[in-house]
Amino acid sequence: MGKASVIPFGPQHPVLPEPLHLDLVVEDETVIEAIPQIGFVHRGLEKLVETRDFNQFIYVAERICGICAFGHSLGYAETVEQLMQVEVPKRAEYLRVIWHEMSRIHSHLLWMGLAADAFGFESLFMHCWRLRERVLDLFEATTGGRVILSVVKVGGVARDITDDMFRKIQDTLNGIKGEYGQICKTFLNDYSVKNRTVGVGVIDEEAARSQCMVGPFARASNVNNDIRIFGNGAYGELDGFEPILDTQGDCYARVKVRALEVLQSIEIVNELIGKIPAGEVAVEMKGAPADGAEAASVLEQPRGECYYYARGNGTKYLERMRMRTPTSQNIAGMTTALAGCDLADVNMIVLTIDPCISCTER
Amino acid sequence: MSLNVSFLPLAVKDLPSCARSRKDEGWRLVQMLCVRTEKGTDLIYSFMKDDALENYTIKDVKGGMEIPSISESFLNAFVFENEAHDLFGVQVTDIAIDFAGKFYAVSQSEPMTVISPAQKEAREKAAKIAAAKAAKEAKGATGGSTPEAAKSARPARAKNAAPAANVPRPAKGGASAGKTQKEGE
Repeated sequence: MGKASVIPFGPQHPVLPEPLHLDLVVEDETVIEAIPQIGFVHRGLEKLVETRDFNQFIYVAERICGICAFGHSLGYAETVEQLMQVEVPKRAEYLRVIWHEMSRIHSHLLWMGLAADAFGFESLFMHCWRLRERVLDLFEATTGGRVILSVVKVGGVARDITDDMFRKIQDTLNGIKGEYGQICKTFLNDYSVKNRTVGVGVIDEEAARSQCMVGPFARASNVNNDIRIFGNGAYGELDGFEPILDTQGDCYARVKVRALEVLQSIEIVNELIGKIPAGEVAVEMKGAPADGAEAASVLEQPRGECYYYARGNGTKYLERMRMRTPTSQNIAGMTTALAGCDLADVNMIVLTIDPCISCTER
Repeated sequence: MSLNVSFLPLAVKDLPSCARSRKDEGWRLVQMLCVRTEKGTDLIYSFMKDDALENYTIKDVKGGMEIPSISESFLNAFVFENEAHDLFGVQVTDIAIDFAGKFYAVSQSEPMTVISPAQKEAREKAAKIAAAKAAKEAKGATGGSTPEAAKSARPARAKNAAPAANVPRPAKGGASAGKTQKEGE
């Protein structure tokens, strides 16, 4: 063994899309320990709840992240609705889940592209992002926005989707499915992908549970903590939902879980479009959250479980709004996965947790 | 299967044993958060197992009070505990990875303890609404129009609501355009 030395990794690094710093303690080419640091882009968004009323704050909530923007607006709205004991119309619940699953498709395609870019498979990266553009086109056609959709509001959704548009969504997603099958095949079978991912950054089930990991990162280690099984909103209307799990716990398993979740999300959207009831898409919100009332909820974002907490103070402003994002829950697991890996695999392991630091810091 | 969310009280001295027992019973730590109140800071620890989400609340933690870290039981707590220290000034002891106040690069120390004029106004408005509601209820309970009922309602309003002259008005465009104020100043 050589002498231990510390290599700083990030916050600016070609494979890191976001500012995460790691102090990598290495001996020769082996990482002994990784000490993470965030805190470079803290924006104080939770503080803004004091100056934006509960209807306005939803636009702040969805700006927490540019990838899971829809999910944050949905999680916030559901929590405030619980706080105010408001029941959302059934059609709005369906629409929310349809958009949310489409967000999962675009988020996973974006991540798969980044992963392909990280292991040097640029054409695969381009194909993933090309397909993702078609999902963003659907967002634009149904909401007017491609990234920030601003379609969820407290009490329902701001827009309905017509039957013609539903047919277009189904046609597009079914079209994507064929092309995506080829991409999936490359991701899961190509030797150059396997060389970089199989057996790399392994976390077994026990360690994953111990580190309280969430999302595809945990599901790749056979930890079933997918919040969708609780059937919140229209998830309860699905004909059986089974989370996608894997037992290997390595980078390849994380790629595989996300790759299969894209297909699962397409099926969920198709099923819900076939079942969506007619009716109103929002209820009028009256009054304000009661003084001292508090509510907590969880939502399965593309990156994993996100926790929301709200407390009222009797006015239209909330006393406190808190979002605990999936990445902050997965940082501890990431340090475990990095311990003992080759220095050259650090970028791949970090990417396979799909970190979102701007989410984490809010 | 639906998710069952509950809020439960917890004392500071019981926190380490609570965390250990949760760990031993197979629960996972979901998060820890702080809420700044008039009396101090509330700490809420959330644990989850199967379909239960339990939120344990430690009420009114005063400045300088030491809170034991639970990162020995749940390593992922170090993120939340460092955040609680940097943003709320909560003194958490023995954090597994302690950044000693350098976790977040913030331009102002303990920024979440700052009470903005807008928040102060909202709190005072809430107090006025509560006082008015109490007065109305008192009026209803005593028959509505007796002088005694009106008299009994008045002190409640005076007690809970700050004088209008002391209410700082936020600048147009919200608190970001106005001067912020430390609580107690």
